[in-house]
Amino acid sequence: MPVETLLEVHNLVKVFHGRPAVDGVSFTIPKGRIVGLLGPNGAGKTTTIHMLLGLITPTSGRIAYFGREFSRHRRECLERINFASSFNTLQGRISVWENLAVFAHLYGLRRPRAKIESLASYFGITEMLHARYWDLSAGQRTRVNLIKALLNDPELILMDEPTAALDPDIADKTLALIEEIRDTSGVSILYTSHDMHEVTRICDDVIFLDRGRIFAHDSPLGLTKRIRTATLTLTFDGDQAIVERLLTERGQRFRFTHPYAVSIETTEQVIPSLVFDVGEAGVWITGIDVKKPTLEDVFLSIARGGSRVG
Amino acid sequence: MSGERIKGILLQEAYITRRSLEVIVDLFYTSAITVVAFGFVSRFLVGVTNPHTGSYLILGLLLWEVIRVNQYSLSVGSLWNIWSHNLSNMFVAPLSVTEYIVAHMLSALLKTLVTFCGICMIAAWGFHFDVLQMGVANLMLFFANLTVFAWSVGLVLLGVIFQIGPRIQALAWGTVFLFQPLTAAFFPLSALPPAVRAVAYALPPTFVFEAARGALGVPGTNWLYVGIAAAENVVYFALAASAFAWMLARSRASGRLARAEG
Repeated sequence: MPVETLLEVHNLVKVFHGRPAVDGVSFTIPKGRIVGLLGPNGAGKTTTIHMLLGLITPTSGRIAYFGREFSRHRRECLERINFASSFNTLQGRISVWENLAVFAHLYGLRRPRAKIESLASYFGITEMLHARYWDLSAGQRTRVNLIKALLNDPELILMDEPTAALDPDIADKTLALIEEIRDTSGVSILYTSHDMHEVTRICDDVIFLDRGRIFAHDSPLGLTKRIRTATLTLTFDGDQAIVERLLTERGQRFRFTHPYAVSIETTEQVIPSLVFDVGEAGVWITGIDVKKPTLEDVFLSIARGGSRVG
Repeated sequence: MSGERIKGILLQEAYITRRSLEVIVDLFYTSAITVVAFGFVSRFLVGVTNPHTGSYLILGLLLWEVIRVNQYSLSVGSLWNIWSHNLSNMFVAPLSVTEYIVAHMLSALLKTLVTFCGICMIAAWGFHFDVLQMGVANLMLFFANLTVFAWSVGLVLLGVIFQIGPRIQALAWGTVFLFQPLTAAFFPLSALPPAVRAVAYALPPTFVFEAARGALGVPGTNWLYVGIAAAENVVYFALAASAFAWMLARSRASGRLARAEG
Protein backbone atom coordinates (compact mmCIF):
# COMPACT_ATOMS: atom_id res chain seq x y z
CA MET A 1 0.00 0.00 0.00
CA PRO A 2 1.55 3.35 -1.04
CA VAL A 3 2.44 5.78 1.75
CA GLU A 4 0.42 8.97 1.65
CA THR A 5 2.42 12.10 0.81
CA LEU A 6 1.51 15.02 3.06
CA LEU A 7 3.78 17.66 1.60
CA GLU A 8 5.19 17.88 -1.86
CA VAL A 9 7.68 20.62 -2.70
CA HIS A 10 8.76 20.91 -6.31
CA ASN A 11 11.56 23.13 -7.61
CA LEU A 12 11.02 25.84 -5.00
CA VAL A 13 12.94 29.03 -5.67
CA LYS A 14 13.20 32.28 -3.73
CA VAL A 15 15.33 35.12 -4.99
CA PHE A 16 16.09 38.12 -2.77
CA HIS A 17 17.72 41.11 -4.48
CA GLY A 18 18.92 38.98 -7.36
CA ARG A 19 20.50 36.34 -5.12
CA PRO A 20 18.82 32.94 -4.75
CA ALA A 21 18.16 32.15 -1.08
CA VAL A 22 16.42 28.91 -2.04
CA ASP A 23 17.33 27.44 -5.38
CA GLY A 24 15.32 24.60 -6.86
CA VAL A 25 14.46 22.70 -3.69
CA SER A 26 12.29 19.61 -4.14
CA PHE A 27 11.29 17.03 -1.55
CA THR A 28 8.30 15.21 -0.13
CA ILE A 29 7.19 14.35 3.38
CA PRO A 30 5.37 11.02 3.67
CA LYS A 31 2.83 10.36 6.40
CA GLY A 32 4.31 9.51 9.78
CA ARG A 33 7.88 10.60 9.00
CA ILE A 34 10.05 13.17 10.74
CA VAL A 35 12.18 14.95 8.19
CA GLY A 36 15.05 17.14 9.31
CA LEU A 37 16.00 20.23 7.38
CA LEU A 38 19.62 20.99 8.14
CA GLY A 39 22.27 23.34 6.95
CA PRO A 40 24.63 26.07 8.03
CA ASN A 41 23.45 29.62 8.67
CA GLY A 42 22.14 31.19 5.48
CA ALA A 43 21.49 27.80 3.88
CA GLY A 44 17.84 28.69 3.27
CA LYS A 45 16.15 26.59 5.96
CA THR A 46 14.03 29.33 7.50
CA THR A 47 13.18 30.86 4.13
CA THR A 48 11.99 27.42 3.01
CA ILE A 49 9.86 26.99 6.15
CA HIS A 50 8.41 30.48 5.72
CA MET A 51 7.46 29.71 2.12
CA LEU A 52 5.86 26.45 3.23
CA LEU A 53 3.79 28.45 5.71
CA GLY A 54 2.81 31.20 3.27
CA LEU A 55 4.70 33.91 5.11
CA ILE A 56 7.00 34.40 2.13
CA THR A 57 5.82 34.18 -1.47
CA PRO A 58 8.06 31.89 -3.56
CA THR A 59 9.64 33.30 -6.71
CA SER A 60 8.69 30.06 -8.44
CA GLY A 61 7.99 26.43 -7.68
CA ARG A 62 5.13 24.43 -6.33
CA ILE A 63 4.00 23.58 -2.81
CA ALA A 64 1.19 21.07 -2.30
CA TYR A 65 -0.22 19.79 0.97
CA PHE A 66 -2.36 16.66 0.90
CA GLY A 67 -2.35 16.82 -2.89
CA ARG A 68 -3.71 20.37 -2.98
CA GLU A 69 -1.94 23.44 -4.27
CA PHE A 70 -1.06 25.60 -1.26
CA SER A 71 -1.38 28.86 -3.17
CA ARG A 72 -4.96 28.04 -4.19
CA HIS A 73 -6.14 26.18 -1.07
CA ARG A 74 -4.29 28.10 1.62
CA ARG A 75 -6.98 27.91 4.31
CA GLU A 76 -7.76 24.21 3.78
CA CYS A 77 -4.06 23.37 3.97
CA LEU A 78 -3.39 25.51 7.06
CA GLU A 79 -6.32 23.87 8.87
CA ARG A 80 -4.46 20.55 8.70
CA ILE A 81 -0.93 21.68 9.59
CA ASN A 82 0.63 23.73 12.38
CA PHE A 83 3.84 25.45 13.32
CA ALA A 84 6.13 25.71 16.35
CA SER A 85 9.29 27.75 16.61
CA SER A 86 11.57 28.97 19.34
CA PHE A 87 11.71 32.29 17.47
CA ASN A 88 7.98 32.89 17.74
CA THR A 89 6.24 33.25 21.04
CA LEU A 90 2.65 33.82 22.04
CA GLN A 91 1.21 37.03 23.48
CA GLY A 92 3.29 37.71 26.56
CA ARG A 93 0.92 39.76 28.64
CA ILE A 94 -2.11 37.49 28.44
CA SER A 95 -2.46 34.11 30.11
CA VAL A 96 -1.61 30.74 28.64
CA TRP A 97 -5.28 29.84 28.66
CA GLU A 98 -6.25 33.05 26.88
CA ASN A 99 -3.57 32.53 24.23
CA LEU A 100 -4.68 29.00 23.58
CA ALA A 101 -8.34 30.00 23.54
CA VAL A 102 -7.58 32.54 20.80
CA PHE A 103 -5.90 29.87 18.65
CA ALA A 104 -8.66 27.39 19.41
CA HIS A 105 -11.07 29.85 17.77
CA LEU A 106 -8.72 30.50 14.86
CA TYR A 107 -8.52 26.76 14.20
CA GLY A 108 -12.28 26.38 14.65
CA LEU A 109 -12.15 23.83 17.50
CA ARG A 110 -15.54 22.50 18.49
CA ARG A 111 -14.73 21.86 22.16
CA PRO A 112 -11.80 24.18 22.89
CA ARG A 113 -11.96 23.90 26.68
CA ALA A 114 -11.74 20.10 26.68
CA LYS A 115 -8.94 20.12 24.11
CA ILE A 116 -6.85 22.72 25.94
CA GLU A 117 -7.32 20.98 29.28
CA SER A 118 -6.42 17.61 27.83
CA LEU A 119 -3.24 18.90 26.15
CA ALA A 120 -2.26 20.92 29.22
CA SER A 121 -2.59 17.81 31.31
CA TYR A 122 -0.55 15.77 28.80
CA PHE A 123 2.24 18.36 28.83
CA GLY A 124 2.05 18.85 32.61
CA ILE A 125 1.21 22.54 32.63
CA THR A 126 -2.34 22.47 33.97
CA GLU A 127 -1.38 24.57 36.97
CA MET A 128 0.16 27.21 34.69
CA LEU A 129 -2.85 27.74 32.45
CA HIS A 130 -3.79 30.97 34.15
CA ALA A 131 -0.24 32.33 34.43
CA ARG A 132 0.82 35.05 32.05
CA TYR A 133 2.82 33.65 29.15
CA TRP A 134 5.81 35.93 29.80
CA ASP A 135 6.00 34.70 33.41
CA LEU A 136 6.81 31.17 32.20
CA SER A 137 10.30 29.69 31.93
CA ALA A 138 11.75 28.91 28.50
CA GLY A 139 10.92 25.23 28.91
CA GLN A 140 7.35 25.96 29.93
CA ARG A 141 6.91 28.31 26.98
CA THR A 142 8.16 25.61 24.64
CA ARG A 143 5.56 23.22 26.01
CA VAL A 144 2.84 25.85 25.54
CA ASN A 145 4.05 26.43 21.96
CA LEU A 146 3.80 22.70 21.36
CA ILE A 147 0.27 22.67 22.75
CA LYS A 148 -0.61 25.48 20.35
CA ALA A 149 0.93 23.44 17.54
CA LEU A 150 -1.22 20.43 18.46
CA LEU A 151 -4.54 22.21 19.05
CA ASN A 152 -5.97 21.34 15.64
CA ASP A 153 -4.73 17.72 15.62
CA PRO A 154 -2.42 18.54 12.70
CA GLU A 155 -1.27 15.89 10.29
CA LEU A 156 1.97 17.80 9.73
CA ILE A 157 3.86 20.15 12.05
CA LEU A 158 6.60 22.45 10.84
CA MET A 159 9.10 23.01 13.64
CA ASP A 160 11.75 25.71 13.29
CA GLU A 161 14.49 25.00 15.85
CA PRO A 162 12.00 24.34 18.66
CA THR A 163 14.72 23.67 21.23
CA ALA A 164 17.06 26.51 20.27
CA ALA A 165 16.60 28.56 23.43
CA LEU A 166 16.54 25.67 25.87
CA ASP A 167 19.15 24.28 28.23
CA PRO A 168 20.23 20.68 27.49
CA ASP A 169 17.98 19.11 30.12
CA ILE A 170 14.83 20.90 28.96
CA ALA A 171 15.80 20.34 25.31
CA ASP A 172 16.08 16.62 26.04
CA LYS A 173 12.65 16.57 27.69
CA THR A 174 11.19 18.51 24.78
CA LEU A 175 12.64 16.03 22.32
CA ALA A 176 11.17 13.18 24.34
CA LEU A 177 7.79 14.91 24.09
CA ILE A 178 8.17 15.30 20.32
CA GLU A 179 9.05 11.61 20.02
CA GLU A 180 6.04 10.75 22.12
CA ILE A 181 3.78 12.94 19.97
CA ARG A 182 5.10 11.22 16.87
CA ASP A 183 4.62 7.76 18.37
CA THR A 184 1.14 8.38 19.75
CA SER A 185 -0.42 10.57 17.08
CA GLY A 186 1.48 9.51 13.97
CA VAL A 187 1.97 13.15 13.04
CA SER A 188 4.60 14.03 10.45
CA ILE A 189 7.14 16.69 11.27
CA LEU A 190 9.45 18.89 9.25
CA TYR A 191 12.17 19.79 11.73
CA THR A 192 14.94 22.35 11.37
CA SER A 193 17.81 22.36 13.79
CA HIS A 194 21.51 22.99 14.15
CA ASP A 195 21.83 20.23 16.73
CA MET A 196 23.04 17.07 15.04
CA HIS A 197 22.33 14.88 18.07
CA GLU A 198 18.69 15.96 18.00
CA VAL A 199 18.41 15.24 14.33
CA THR A 200 20.09 11.86 14.61
CA ARG A 201 17.78 11.03 17.48
CA ILE A 202 14.41 11.94 16.05
CA CYS A 203 14.60 12.28 12.26
CA ASP A 204 13.84 9.49 9.82
CA ASP A 205 15.20 11.49 6.89
CA VAL A 206 17.56 14.41 6.67
CA ILE A 207 17.74 17.08 3.98
CA PHE A 208 20.97 19.03 3.92
CA LEU A 209 20.64 22.50 2.48
CA ASP A 210 23.64 24.54 1.50
CA ARG A 211 23.46 27.92 -0.23
CA GLY A 212 19.82 27.33 -1.05
CA ARG A 213 20.27 23.93 -2.69
CA ILE A 214 19.70 20.41 -1.45
CA PHE A 215 23.15 18.99 -0.96
CA ALA A 216 22.11 15.61 0.34
CA HIS A 217 18.87 13.84 1.21
CA ASP A 218 19.07 10.55 3.04
CA SER A 219 18.53 8.84 6.38
CA PRO A 220 20.93 9.95 9.16
CA LEU A 221 22.75 6.60 8.80
CA GLY A 222 22.91 6.92 5.03
CA LEU A 223 24.39 10.38 5.34
CA THR A 224 27.09 9.35 7.78
CA LYS A 225 28.01 6.48 5.47
CA ARG A 226 28.82 9.07 2.82
CA ILE A 227 31.90 10.00 4.80
CA ARG A 228 34.04 7.00 4.07
CA THR A 229 36.78 7.73 6.55
CA ALA A 230 36.82 6.67 10.18
CA THR A 231 39.36 7.28 12.92
CA LEU A 232 41.06 4.17 14.33
CA THR A 233 43.01 4.61 17.54
CA LEU A 234 45.29 1.78 18.58
CA THR A 235 47.05 1.60 21.93
CA PHE A 236 49.82 -0.98 22.05
CA ASP A 237 52.70 -2.47 23.97
CA GLY A 238 55.64 -2.76 21.62
CA ASP A 239 58.04 -0.98 19.30
CA GLN A 240 56.72 2.26 17.88
CA ALA A 241 59.07 1.99 14.89
CA ILE A 242 57.45 -1.26 13.77
CA VAL A 243 54.01 0.33 13.83
CA GLU A 244 55.27 3.41 12.02
CA ARG A 245 56.95 1.34 9.28
CA LEU A 246 53.91 -0.86 8.79
CA LEU A 247 51.48 2.05 8.50
CA THR A 248 53.78 3.91 6.13
CA GLU A 249 54.06 0.84 3.93
CA ARG A 250 50.27 0.57 3.90
CA GLY A 251 49.98 4.23 2.86
CA GLN A 252 47.98 5.24 5.92
CA ARG A 253 47.63 8.76 7.37
CA PHE A 254 48.50 8.55 11.04
CA ARG A 255 50.04 10.33 14.00
CA PHE A 256 51.28 9.11 17.35
CA THR A 257 49.30 10.77 20.11
CA HIS A 258 51.44 9.00 22.72
CA PRO A 259 54.49 6.72 22.42
CA TYR A 260 52.10 3.79 22.72
CA ALA A 261 49.06 5.18 20.92
CA VAL A 262 48.49 5.91 17.26
CA SER A 263 45.56 7.60 15.59
CA ILE A 264 44.91 6.48 12.00
CA GLU A 265 42.51 8.18 9.61
CA THR A 266 41.41 5.43 7.27
CA THR A 267 38.49 3.87 5.50
CA GLU A 268 36.19 1.59 7.46
CA GLN A 269 36.85 -1.38 5.16
CA VAL A 270 40.58 -1.62 5.89
CA ILE A 271 40.31 -1.39 9.70
CA PRO A 272 40.16 -5.20 10.31
CA SER A 273 43.19 -5.92 8.13
CA LEU A 274 45.17 -3.07 9.71
CA VAL A 275 44.53 -4.38 13.21
CA PHE A 276 45.44 -7.89 12.08
CA ASP A 277 48.69 -6.74 10.40
CA VAL A 278 49.85 -4.76 13.44
CA GLY A 279 49.25 -7.81 15.62
CA GLU A 280 51.02 -10.08 13.16
CA ALA A 281 54.05 -7.74 13.25
CA GLY A 282 54.56 -8.68 16.89
CA VAL A 283 53.02 -5.63 18.49
CA TRP A 284 50.71 -6.37 21.40
CA ILE A 285 47.50 -4.37 20.89
CA THR A 286 46.05 -3.28 24.24
CA GLY A 287 43.19 -1.11 22.99
CA ILE A 288 41.14 -0.47 19.84
CA ASP A 289 38.85 2.50 19.38
CA VAL A 290 36.98 3.25 16.17
CA LYS A 291 35.33 6.63 15.81
CA LYS A 292 32.79 6.55 13.02
CA PRO A 293 31.62 9.76 11.33
CA THR A 294 28.60 11.43 12.88
CA LEU A 295 25.97 13.62 11.29
CA GLU A 296 27.90 16.52 12.75
CA ASP A 297 30.91 15.52 10.66
CA VAL A 298 28.68 15.52 7.59
CA PHE A 299 27.32 18.92 8.56
CA LEU A 300 30.81 20.35 9.15
CA SER A 301 32.04 18.82 5.95
CA ILE A 302 29.25 20.48 3.99
CA ALA A 303 29.65 23.77 5.81
CA ARG A 304 33.40 23.74 5.03
CA GLY A 305 33.15 22.80 1.41
CA GLY A 306 31.91 19.23 1.22
CA SER A 307 35.20 17.63 0.24
CA ARG A 308 34.74 14.58 2.45
CA VAL A 309 31.16 13.79 1.55
CA GLY A 310 30.78 11.13 -1.07
CA MET B 1 -15.49 34.61 6.19
CA SER B 2 -15.65 32.78 9.51
CA GLY B 3 -17.32 34.34 12.54
CA GLU B 4 -15.41 31.93 14.75
CA ARG B 5 -12.03 33.21 13.58
CA ILE B 6 -13.15 36.84 13.82
CA LYS B 7 -14.30 36.05 17.35
CA GLY B 8 -10.82 34.67 18.07
CA ILE B 9 -9.17 37.96 17.12
CA LEU B 10 -11.76 39.95 19.06
CA LEU B 11 -11.08 37.77 22.10
CA GLN B 12 -7.35 38.42 21.77
CA GLU B 13 -8.00 42.15 21.53
CA ALA B 14 -10.20 42.04 24.62
CA TYR B 15 -7.62 40.07 26.59
CA ILE B 16 -4.78 42.42 25.58
CA THR B 17 -6.79 45.57 26.25
CA ARG B 18 -7.76 44.33 29.69
CA ARG B 19 -4.13 43.62 30.58
CA SER B 20 -2.50 46.65 28.94
CA LEU B 21 -2.10 49.87 30.84
CA GLU B 22 -0.73 51.41 27.62
CA VAL B 23 -3.99 50.86 25.76
CA ILE B 24 -6.07 52.10 28.66
CA VAL B 25 -3.90 55.23 28.89
CA ASP B 26 -3.65 55.84 25.14
CA LEU B 27 -7.35 55.43 24.53
CA PHE B 28 -9.56 55.98 27.51
CA TYR B 29 -7.37 58.08 29.81
CA THR B 30 -6.02 60.38 27.06
CA SER B 31 -9.50 60.92 25.65
CA ALA B 32 -10.99 61.63 29.06
CA ILE B 33 -8.27 64.07 30.14
CA THR B 34 -8.32 65.87 26.78
CA VAL B 35 -12.06 66.36 26.90
CA VAL B 36 -11.75 67.74 30.42
CA ALA B 37 -9.04 70.19 29.29
CA PHE B 38 -11.00 71.18 26.19
CA GLY B 39 -14.12 71.49 28.34
CA PHE B 40 -12.47 74.12 30.52
CA VAL B 41 -11.08 75.95 27.49
CA SER B 42 -14.52 75.99 25.90
CA ARG B 43 -16.08 77.23 29.15
CA PHE B 44 -13.50 80.03 29.19
CA LEU B 45 -14.16 80.91 25.55
CA VAL B 46 -17.91 81.20 26.08
CA GLY B 47 -17.30 84.26 28.19
CA VAL B 48 -14.82 86.02 25.92
CA THR B 49 -15.83 85.30 22.34
CA ASN B 50 -18.64 84.01 20.12
CA PRO B 51 -20.77 81.72 22.30
CA HIS B 52 -20.57 78.99 19.69
CA THR B 53 -16.78 78.89 19.72
CA GLY B 54 -16.59 76.87 22.91
CA SER B 55 -19.16 74.40 21.61
CA TYR B 56 -17.30 74.01 18.32
CA LEU B 57 -14.16 73.20 20.23
CA ILE B 58 -15.66 70.52 22.43
CA LEU B 59 -17.74 69.08 19.57
CA GLY B 60 -14.65 68.96 17.38
CA LEU B 61 -12.75 67.13 20.06
CA LEU B 62 -15.49 64.54 20.65
CA LEU B 63 -15.69 63.78 16.94
CA TRP B 64 -11.92 63.88 16.50
CA GLU B 65 -11.59 61.14 19.07
CA VAL B 66 -13.72 58.92 16.81
CA ILE B 67 -10.97 59.19 14.20
CA ARG B 68 -8.05 58.90 16.61
CA VAL B 69 -9.29 55.92 18.61
CA ASN B 70 -10.48 53.97 15.56
CA GLN B 71 -7.24 54.52 13.65
CA TYR B 72 -5.01 53.85 16.65
CA SER B 73 -6.84 50.63 17.49
CA LEU B 74 -6.70 49.31 13.96
CA SER B 75 -2.99 50.01 13.48
CA VAL B 76 -1.71 49.21 16.96
CA GLY B 77 -3.70 45.97 17.24
CA SER B 78 -1.22 44.27 14.93
CA LEU B 79 1.76 45.85 16.62
CA TRP B 80 0.91 43.91 19.78
CA ASN B 81 1.39 40.72 17.81
CA ILE B 82 4.60 41.98 16.22
CA TRP B 83 6.04 43.04 19.59
CA SER B 84 5.16 39.63 21.05
CA HIS B 85 6.66 37.70 18.08
CA ASN B 86 3.20 36.25 17.60
CA LEU B 87 2.34 37.62 14.17
CA SER B 88 3.65 34.54 12.34
CA ASN B 89 1.54 32.30 14.54
CA MET B 90 -1.53 34.32 13.58
CA PHE B 91 -0.78 34.31 9.85
CA VAL B 92 -0.04 30.58 9.67
CA ALA B 93 -3.42 29.84 11.24
CA PRO B 94 -6.25 29.34 8.73
CA LEU B 95 -7.17 33.00 9.10
CA SER B 96 -7.69 35.06 5.98
CA VAL B 97 -6.32 38.58 5.78
CA THR B 98 -9.87 39.83 5.28
CA GLU B 99 -10.99 38.14 8.51
CA TYR B 100 -8.00 39.56 10.32
CA ILE B 101 -8.69 43.11 9.14
CA VAL B 102 -12.45 42.91 9.68
CA ALA B 103 -11.85 41.68 13.22
CA HIS B 104 -9.48 44.55 13.95
CA MET B 105 -11.96 47.03 12.47
CA LEU B 106 -14.72 45.67 14.69
CA SER B 107 -12.42 45.79 17.69
CA ALA B 108 -11.50 49.39 16.86
CA LEU B 109 -15.19 50.24 16.50
CA LEU B 110 -16.02 48.72 19.89
CA LYS B 111 -13.19 50.58 21.61
CA THR B 112 -14.25 53.81 19.91
CA LEU B 113 -17.87 53.36 20.95
CA VAL B 114 -16.87 52.80 24.57
CA THR B 115 -14.47 55.76 24.57
CA PHE B 116 -16.90 58.02 22.73
CA CYS B 117 -19.75 57.24 25.12
CA GLY B 118 -17.44 57.91 28.05
CA ILE B 119 -16.19 61.27 26.82
CA CYS B 120 -19.67 62.34 25.76
CA MET B 121 -20.84 61.68 29.28
CA ILE B 122 -17.95 63.73 30.68
CA ALA B 123 -18.82 66.54 28.27
CA ALA B 124 -22.47 66.37 29.27
CA TRP B 125 -21.99 66.16 33.02
CA GLY B 126 -18.92 68.33 33.38
CA PHE B 127 -19.49 70.99 30.76
CA HIS B 128 -23.19 70.85 29.87
CA PHE B 129 -22.47 69.91 26.28
CA ASP B 130 -24.99 67.47 24.88
CA VAL B 131 -23.69 65.84 21.71
CA LEU B 132 -27.22 64.62 20.97
CA GLN B 133 -28.36 68.19 20.33
CA MET B 134 -27.16 67.56 16.76
CA GLY B 135 -29.73 64.79 16.52
CA VAL B 136 -29.21 61.04 16.77
CA ALA B 137 -29.32 60.57 12.99
CA ASN B 138 -26.65 63.21 12.48
CA LEU B 139 -24.49 61.70 15.17
CA MET B 140 -24.71 58.24 13.59
CA LEU B 141 -23.93 59.57 10.12
CA PHE B 142 -20.97 61.59 11.38
CA PHE B 143 -19.70 58.70 13.49
CA ALA B 144 -19.92 56.28 10.57
CA ASN B 145 -18.13 58.62 8.17
CA LEU B 146 -15.34 59.40 10.61
CA THR B 147 -14.96 55.71 11.41
CA VAL B 148 -14.56 54.70 7.77
CA PHE B 149 -12.01 57.47 7.22
CA ALA B 150 -10.05 56.33 10.30
CA TRP B 151 -10.10 52.74 9.05
CA SER B 152 -8.72 53.90 5.69
CA VAL B 153 -5.84 55.70 7.39
CA GLY B 154 -5.31 52.76 9.74
CA LEU B 155 -5.23 50.27 6.88
CA VAL B 156 -2.60 52.23 4.99
CA LEU B 157 -0.46 52.58 8.11
CA LEU B 158 -0.82 48.88 8.84
CA GLY B 159 0.32 48.10 5.31
CA VAL B 160 3.32 50.40 5.78
CA ILE B 161 4.20 48.65 9.05
CA PHE B 162 3.98 45.24 7.36
CA GLN B 163 6.09 46.43 4.46
CA ILE B 164 8.75 48.41 6.28
CA GLY B 165 8.67 46.85 9.72
CA PRO B 166 7.96 48.07 13.23
CA ARG B 167 10.74 50.66 13.13
CA ILE B 168 8.20 53.12 11.77
CA GLN B 169 5.67 52.18 14.45
CA ALA B 170 5.47 55.77 15.73
CA LEU B 171 3.48 56.53 12.58
CA ALA B 172 0.74 54.29 13.95
CA TRP B 173 -0.21 56.85 16.55
CA GLY B 174 1.35 60.02 15.14
CA THR B 175 0.27 60.27 11.52
CA VAL B 176 -3.41 60.85 12.16
CA PHE B 177 -2.71 64.21 13.83
CA LEU B 178 -1.71 65.52 10.42
CA PHE B 179 -5.41 65.54 9.62
CA GLN B 180 -6.41 67.53 12.69
CA PRO B 181 -5.62 70.96 11.23
CA LEU B 182 -6.20 69.87 7.64
CA THR B 183 -9.80 68.83 8.32
CA ALA B 184 -10.59 71.92 10.40
CA ALA B 185 -11.57 69.75 13.33
CA PHE B 186 -11.81 72.54 15.91
CA PHE B 187 -12.55 75.63 13.87
CA PRO B 188 -14.59 76.69 10.84
CA LEU B 189 -13.14 75.75 7.48
CA SER B 190 -13.00 79.47 6.61
CA ALA B 191 -10.17 79.85 9.11
CA LEU B 192 -7.86 77.86 6.82
CA PRO B 193 -5.80 79.60 4.13
CA PRO B 194 -7.31 79.05 0.66
CA ALA B 195 -4.55 76.68 -0.48
CA VAL B 196 -4.96 74.46 2.58
CA ARG B 197 -8.72 74.67 2.21
CA ALA B 198 -8.41 73.00 -1.18
CA VAL B 199 -6.67 70.07 0.52
CA ALA B 200 -9.31 70.05 3.25
CA TYR B 201 -12.06 69.62 0.69
CA ALA B 202 -10.44 66.39 -0.41
CA LEU B 203 -10.79 64.93 3.09
CA PRO B 204 -14.11 63.44 4.29
CA PRO B 205 -13.80 64.60 7.93
CA THR B 206 -13.76 68.23 6.79
CA PHE B 207 -17.36 67.89 5.61
CA VAL B 208 -18.34 66.02 8.73
CA PHE B 209 -16.91 68.67 11.05
CA GLU B 210 -18.53 71.45 9.02
CA ALA B 211 -21.86 69.64 8.98
CA ALA B 212 -21.63 68.96 12.71
CA ARG B 213 -20.94 72.60 13.54
CA GLY B 214 -23.85 73.56 11.31
CA ALA B 215 -26.12 71.06 13.04
CA LEU B 216 -25.45 72.73 16.41
CA GLY B 217 -27.00 75.96 15.16
CA VAL B 218 -29.64 74.75 12.72
CA PRO B 219 -31.37 71.42 13.29
CA GLY B 220 -31.39 69.02 10.36
CA THR B 221 -28.94 67.07 8.28
CA ASN B 222 -26.65 68.65 5.73
CA TRP B 223 -27.11 65.87 3.22
CA LEU B 224 -24.81 67.49 0.71
CA TYR B 225 -21.86 67.44 3.11
CA VAL B 226 -22.71 64.00 4.45
CA GLY B 227 -23.02 62.73 0.89
CA ILE B 228 -19.70 64.21 -0.19
CA ALA B 229 -18.00 62.75 2.88
CA ALA B 230 -19.53 59.34 2.20
CA ALA B 231 -18.54 59.41 -1.47
CA GLU B 232 -14.97 60.41 -0.63
CA ASN B 233 -14.88 57.71 2.03
CA VAL B 234 -15.90 55.06 -0.49
CA VAL B 235 -13.05 56.13 -2.75
CA TYR B 236 -10.51 56.38 0.09
CA PHE B 237 -11.47 53.06 1.62
CA ALA B 238 -11.20 51.30 -1.75
CA LEU B 239 -7.80 52.91 -2.32
CA ALA B 240 -6.67 52.05 1.22
CA ALA B 241 -7.77 48.42 0.88
CA SER B 242 -5.94 48.14 -2.45
CA ALA B 243 -2.84 49.80 -1.04
CA PHE B 244 -2.92 47.48 1.98
CA ALA B 245 -3.29 44.39 -0.21
CA TRP B 246 -0.42 45.58 -2.43
CA MET B 247 1.87 46.33 0.52
CA LEU B 248 1.04 43.01 2.19
CA ALA B 249 1.85 41.16 -1.04
CA ARG B 250 5.11 43.11 -1.31
CA SER B 251 6.03 42.31 2.29
CA ARG B 252 5.36 38.61 1.64
CA ALA B 253 7.49 38.75 -1.49
CA SER B 254 10.35 40.61 0.17
CA GLY B 255 10.25 38.48 3.31
CA ARG B 256 9.57 41.51 5.50
CA LEU B 257 6.34 40.07 6.87
CA ALA B 258 8.21 37.08 8.24
CA ARG B 259 10.97 39.30 9.60
CA ALA B 260 8.63 41.98 10.96
CA GLU B 261 8.74 40.55 14.45
CA GLY B 262 12.52 40.57 14.52
